[in-house]
Amino acid sequence: MTKNSFLSVLSQKKVLALFLVGKIVRFLFFYLFVYYLIRETGSLAGYNFHQTIFIFLTFNLVDILAQFLFRDVYRFRPKIISGEFDLTLLKPQSALFRSMMSGADVIDFVTLPFIFSLTIYFALFLDPGVLEVVLYTALVVNSLFIASAFHILVMALGIIILEVDYLIWIYRDALNLGRFPIEIFGRNMRAFLTYLVPLFTMITVPSRVMMGVIDFGAVAVSFFAGVILFFLSLRFWRVALKRYTSASS
Amino acid sequence: MRLWVKFFPRMHKYFKLYSVALRQEFAYRANFLTSRLRNLFQIFLVFYLWSSVFSQEQDFFGYDRARILTYVFGILIVRSLVLTTRATEVAGEIARGDLTNYLVKPINYFYYWFNRDIAVKFLHLFFSFFEFLALFYILRPPFFIQTEPVAIIGFLLSLIIGIVLFYMIVFIAGLVPFWAPEASWGVQFVLIFVVTEFLSGALFPLDILPRQIMDILSFTPFPYLLFYPIKIYLGQIGLFGILKGAFVGFLWILILNFFMKKVWAAGIRVYRAEGR
Repeated sequence: MTKNSFLSVLSQKKVLALFLVGKIVRFLFFYLFVYYLIRETGSLAGYNFHQTIFIFLTFNLVDILAQFLFRDVYRFRPKIISGEFDLTLLKPQSALFRSMMSGADVIDFVTLPFIFSLTIYFALFLDPGVLEVVLYTALVVNSLFIASAFHILVMALGIIILEVDYLIWIYRDALNLGRFPIEIFGRNMRAFLTYLVPLFTMITVPSRVMMGVIDFGAVAVSFFAGVILFFLSLRFWRVALKRYTSASS
Repeated sequence: MRLWVKFFPRMHKYFKLYSVALRQEFAYRANFLTSRLRNLFQIFLVFYLWSSVFSQEQDFFGYDRARILTYVFGILIVRSLVLTTRATEVAGEIARGDLTNYLVKPINYFYYWFNRDIAVKFLHLFFSFFEFLALFYILRPPFFIQTEPVAIIGFLLSLIIGIVLFYMIVFIAGLVPFWAPEASWGVQFVLIFVVTEFLSGALFPLDILPRQIMDILSFTPFPYLLFYPIKIYLGQIGLFGILKGAFVGFLWILILNFFMKKVWAAGIRVYRAEGR
């Protein structure tokens, strides 16, 4: 499935080039903005230039990896409305797996080496040890579990209430707030970003670990949140499947 | 027959578009509300970012706290007017061959989408006004109120220029599928979501950049979308600057109009209504 998805997009080399250029240009703009901002102010919410750029890159890493893996979630609602989801249910394969991961996005895939390289380059400025690197990697994987939990929740809600696939865009926009350190936000907003959209867990905790600020309590809560959210989303998916009426087919 | 129909018989169909466009927006209420909510997230990000930078009551880049937060709140309103658009659908219509439906009708495709855009912009402006009040109540930022008539007139003029400029940029980007149907989303991503987002001043006032970069940018159309209108409102651009900005903006409208007509004419010659 993923191979077919890759082949169909790989035939459009112009599109791939355009997206790659767009992502590089966006990073360059952001880099310039943060550079001139911190040159004038000295720091942003207590973070220096390299730390601020590293937080931006961690956000990008989680966001692009999630988009790359779960692109088919964006195409889920039409399948429910048209009744095409019936065909997915008939196949001898997990309906959840097929609905989420059958169309990995090659456009995001080609930007990953660029983001990986930059993340490693800027991580070197933070002078991390082995423990920091291992924990950071594990926490980024944990962030992907949280991201997958949100994608599953959105699909499950899509089955129950047809209108809500817009939720995925709201989730994306909320996650976009993680481009900057969470400390820039006010108390209420920070609570929203910690408990409702676990931006703190997904972006801030891994970034801080790489900076050498290891709060083992926060790390443990992050892993716990990842496991709990993932299993809750799976349960909700099963509940939603039982409510699927196949009304359009 | 209503008076305006009598005096503008050829424009009647375009006026009719306003009510159609408004009905379409309300037909997809969840879509509309999502777009407003997404806009709010953008404002939250920019507000908190600058609020954090100016938390020590220090001046940076020639801005004090009141002026930078007025800039942020100005974005909410000006963005609704300038950057709200449905003309991004032009690319899809050309790629799918749906353009044919318009070519056989006595309607100008450019004006059709422009009028639809204007209707959508005013709807979003209406809602952004209430969001503005709600955010103002929640966040309670210091706010600069402009009272100078020259600045207010200059601000309104720059808004009109920004609206026309952005529409032309989006429309030209939408013509790419005449030659490369698969590249339409890529072009829009680069031009609208990357270049316009940064170079229009939606995230930061462009004058925090070094003078040389700012001088180069002032020769492009992008600063005239958001940055100039808000700077004029803040009273940081004098009469000469307003006239100079209006001149450059108007010059860009002429250049883009010329370019758009050429591209449209060339595109129509190669259009084969594939997919129909």
